[in-house]
Amino acid sequence: MTIKRITFLQELLNFLGLGGRVHLAWISSAEAQKFVQVVTDFTEKIRALGPNPLQQRQHIRGLHYEDKGDDSRSQAMA
Amino acid sequence: MKTKAMIAEVKRWLENCTVDIFLGYKMVLNHPLPHCFGKENIEEVDDLIIGPARYSLEKIATHIAAAKPDIKIGMMARDCNQRALNVLLIWNQLQPEHVQTVNVNCCPSSLKKHGDCSYLEPQPPGAYKQRVGVDNRLSSQEVERFSPPERLSRWMYEFQKCIKCYGCRNICPVCFCKECSLEHKELIGTGTLPPEAPIFHLIRAIHMAGRCIDCGLCEDACPVDIPLRSLYRKVNEIVATVFDYETGSSPDQSPLNILGETVTLEPKPI
Repeated sequence: MTIKRITFLQELLNFLGLGGRVHLAWISSAEAQKFVQVVTDFTEKIRALGPNPLQQRQHIRGLHYEDKGDDSRSQAMA
Repeated sequence: MKTKAMIAEVKRWLENCTVDIFLGYKMVLNHPLPHCFGKENIEEVDDLIIGPARYSLEKIATHIAAAKPDIKIGMMARDCNQRALNVLLIWNQLQPEHVQTVNVNCCPSSLKKHGDCSYLEPQPPGAYKQRVGVDNRLSSQEVERFSPPERLSRWMYEFQKCIKCYGCRNICPVCFCKECSLEHKELIGTGTLPPEAPIFHLIRAIHMAGRCIDCGLCEDACPVDIPLRSLYRKVNEIVATVFDYETGSSPDQSPLNILGETVTLEPKPI
């Protein structure tokens, strides 16, 4: 059930253009090596994808907001 | 069913107590409005109309059933109302033996062949929306043709227009939770505008999984024209592929109502 729910979430985020940022793996407490491998791989993957675009100012195509630090909207997004 | 035949049928139902009340539409000052017909004013039934007006009558029925659980409700039902009723019965919001329907054709439409409502066929959007937003007429496959960053930018353009009017939730026939996550203090918060995008919209989208019956009333109600129908259609597509569950037509309980696998072991005595 969990894998289905997470697949659902991944697919939905992918539809919005935020794919690849959710990962699910089963690791036993006895599998330290696997844990390291999964976390390292996922960190690499996220690094390659770059920072979360929702943390940045939204540049809607053709719409450019003024880049002011005190903009309340950016604080709401952060 | 023709209007005359329907009026006769509804009168018969009310007279022989097949139903206690009947939900339909009545012309009020030239507006077709939902109306509750009862036995006390049976002559009113003559004003019953069949027209293109749509409202979630089944939602009114759930509110009535919540206040008076034993009341027998009759209602006019199109295809979308039937699907919504299906979902509401599955989620125990209505008792099947207490609901009777008179089936009517879908909105008079040349588009009936693909099961859509002419009433809700989206208008071609303006040039600006076409350039930066998501055209309401696009299917999910067509939306997916945009690259991921462009998809995000286009959806964010749509979501940032939201004025958090809750119209989509309020009209939704399958939104029946007593406590709504969209008003949750920690998740969304109340009293601030604009809502946090896309969290607000994603929460609603996730909650539509296994419930949305694609009636399109949310998109019709949306004052800023967010293509909610495409979004929830995608949600249903995923539910169909991942969970193998057809919302609205499947008689089974939604897979998302199950919190986990059923426990098969008996608890051991201590």
